[in-house]
Amino acid sequence: MTTTTAAAASDSSRWSAVFHATLVPVLLVLAWQAWSMTLPANSPAPSPSRVVAAFVDLVATGGLVQATLLSLGRVLVGFLFAMVVGVGLGALMGSNVRIKDNLDPIIESFRPIAPMALLPMAILWFGTGTAPSLFIVAYAAFFPLLLNTIHAVSRVDRKLVLAGMTMGIPRPRILTKIILPAALPGVLLGARLAMGVAWTAIIAAELAVGAKSGAGGTSGGIGQMMFVFYAYSIDLNGIVVCMIVVGVVALLIDRIFRFAEHRLMPWRHR
Amino acid sequence: MPTTPDDATPLTAGSPLAMSLEEAEGDTSKAELDKATPGERARWSHRRWFVALRSFAAFIGVWYLMFLWNGNPIQLPSPFRVANAIWQLAISGELLEHASISTTRLVIALVVATLVAVPLGFVMGLSRSADRFLDPVVELLRPISGIAWIPLGLFIFGVGDVLPVFIMVYVAFFPLLLNTISGVRNVDQRLVNAARTMGVHGWPLMRQVIVPAALPTIMVGFRLAFAGAWAAVIAAELIGAPSGLGFAIEWYRQLLMTPKVFAFIVVIGVVGYLCDLALRALQRRLTPWAEGMGLS
Amino acid sequence: MNKVTSKSKLKLQNVSKQFVAPRTGHKTLAVTGVNLEIQAGEFVCVVGPSGCGKSTILNMIAGLDTPTSGSIEMDGVPIRGPGAERGVMFQDYALMPWQNVHDNVGFGLLHGTPGKGFNPEQREQRIRQHVEMVGLTGSEKKYPHQLSGGMRQRVALARLLANGPDVLLMDEPLGALDAQTRLILQVELLRIWGETLPREERKTVIFITHEISEAVFLADRVVVMSNNPGSVKAVVPIDLPRPRAEAVRAHPVAEQIWGMIKDEAYRAIA
Repeated sequence: MTTTTAAAASDSSRWSAVFHATLVPVLLVLAWQAWSMTLPANSPAPSPSRVVAAFVDLVATGGLVQATLLSLGRVLVGFLFAMVVGVGLGALMGSNVRIKDNLDPIIESFRPIAPMALLPMAILWFGTGTAPSLFIVAYAAFFPLLLNTIHAVSRVDRKLVLAGMTMGIPRPRILTKIILPAALPGVLLGARLAMGVAWTAIIAAELAVGAKSGAGGTSGGIGQMMFVFYAYSIDLNGIVVCMIVVGVVALLIDRIFRFAEHRLMPWRHR
Repeated sequence: MPTTPDDATPLTAGSPLAMSLEEAEGDTSKAELDKATPGERARWSHRRWFVALRSFAAFIGVWYLMFLWNGNPIQLPSPFRVANAIWQLAISGELLEHASISTTRLVIALVVATLVAVPLGFVMGLSRSADRFLDPVVELLRPISGIAWIPLGLFIFGVGDVLPVFIMVYVAFFPLLLNTISGVRNVDQRLVNAARTMGVHGWPLMRQVIVPAALPTIMVGFRLAFAGAWAAVIAAELIGAPSGLGFAIEWYRQLLMTPKVFAFIVVIGVVGYLCDLALRALQRRLTPWAEGMGLS
Repeated sequence: MNKVTSKSKLKLQNVSKQFVAPRTGHKTLAVTGVNLEIQAGEFVCVVGPSGCGKSTILNMIAGLDTPTSGSIEMDGVPIRGPGAERGVMFQDYALMPWQNVHDNVGFGLLHGTPGKGFNPEQREQRIRQHVEMVGLTGSEKKYPHQLSGGMRQRVALARLLANGPDVLLMDEPLGALDAQTRLILQVELLRIWGETLPREERKTVIFITHEISEAVFLADRVVVMSNNPGSVKAVVPIDLPRPRAEAVRAHPVAEQIWGMIKDEAYRAIA
């Protein structure tokens, strides 16, 4: 195959890929638009055209960007806190079976308790501002970080540890110089999962806090924005805009973390 | 909630046995556990029970101390008041009522999600073109968490039974779908080849080779779906349902009857734990050959 | 039925196979110019250094792969795909892990073409016969993960024979066994194949191995292949009386065959 025909072949396969990737979504959006146009003009139902208009409007004057950044900020703070506690405790539990055996029953008992179940108590403790949302996010992010760190640390190849011991390296050093770097892939996986869960948790928390505190609550954030659109301004197009933003941010977070994983650990085939 | 097959590490579904520095020096390891006699195993599990009980006792002790130190019985009720509240709710039947409502919704949602996601997963796993067309839609919807659908869902369905089920179906759908696709795609080609050389094609090939081979991964997806749905139901009931465990928590918070709030939180944990145990047992029954594959 | 029967059971004419890597387009010539005629009732062994294409040829005869050029015929009819008349025994047995010994042995009978023409009782009887033939009576309810390597191999053999193929294609079936079990099973294999029967009553066998002594012990003819690209170097007849004595393993012809592939084998590890 000459280079030109090879290039042409890959061009056509790229077009084919684009076609396949966009056909069904485009058809669905068109169908949605068509359906919405059969409704009376003052129907509150969302339509693609109105969603786009709402998006432009919200970015320009509605504080969409600010709300998103606020939510993201909370996620980051909660995540960092969860990381410190989760990775630290995970490293401890992953390397010391006795500690793990003792703490495991407690951890495993809390795991089926969804973050949102603690939200009412969080509101009781911290009021309706930023704090309960932070708490929920930290709680949500804690488990993936903890569990994946435990898993990663406990799966470190024993031979590496034994090699270190035969070289006379003291135990704390073994932890930091051998075990933690070897466990890094697993920890990063936990971080990626934790961020994903954290993002979902912040939306849920802001939604619920907004529902409990009414429009007067100044907690802000995308979640509360969505609730306000539902309960007060009945702006379904706004809700859809927020949903799309939630999805896009989730995707970005995932991609960024995967990229970081790929960069920091090129030896993994990710 | 992790929803992709490659996120389905053993972590999302159970606690692994850890290796410690002690183990590297020759302590009890899982391999030894497998070779233990029934008598030794009984003593091992008795020991685990003992450790668990001791940890719980310590936990309750710490809780009690914090309660005394805190001083506000509404903010942090004493563990004994909580235990009493659990008891009261149990005998009044309220506990069972809310728990069964939530669990019923969960079961309905999981059934619906399975009926939609698994066949679709087979189609997408076996047919390249179906996958190329449908995967973009799946990948576009997946990042939009089930929670984000609550406001729209509230508008469409109002406060009531349907909303939690809708949200749960949505949440359960993706892990089931993705794991089914993965399970189907990763069927050992050698087994398929072997069957073909015996003149097995078409539906018999599906039923006898592909479905059983994909089943372990699908089961993992089912457990992930359950975990996600159980979290989602609480959130959905908290915001938009007149009954169920999530509703009960919020209801009693508003009444400032925090022992009952805690009681229901405990119930949420217990039911979730029991269901996961049941699912793990189911997994062992349905796919006994998959034990050593790191899927439990 | 009027079938055109040529003299040979299997005929490979000028068979080549080229593999193209799906993503890079990189081409590998696995085998080239293979000409073989195998008679009915023959036991043919194929030996050669790794990578010489032994498995590739077997897969093509089995119908799991198609030649890039050339033709393969069985009884004068070109091979178009897999079929029960050409039974295969795979390197790692390919037993269905979710089925017990009984169901595995009966897999072809119960779900595929070999079972046509039998009623359920006949199928059961046939399954039982073959389980007994390989000496596994009493283990019918066991699952593959509960069996030793030697037992799994026997299940695979029973399954193969229960399907009543004309041609047995075996890809290093004894490769995963320890040396002692291997020697014992070679004798078993010959017995089950019926080495003392007249040729018309025996099945045709094509047996891949890298153990020259094994090939000499089992075969009527040994096809010696060479590497780079894979092709037939020589076909050595083994005119030793049957039933074969243990001493045959050390017969001079084994030395002769080794001499043919020794250089390539050394080059491979250089």
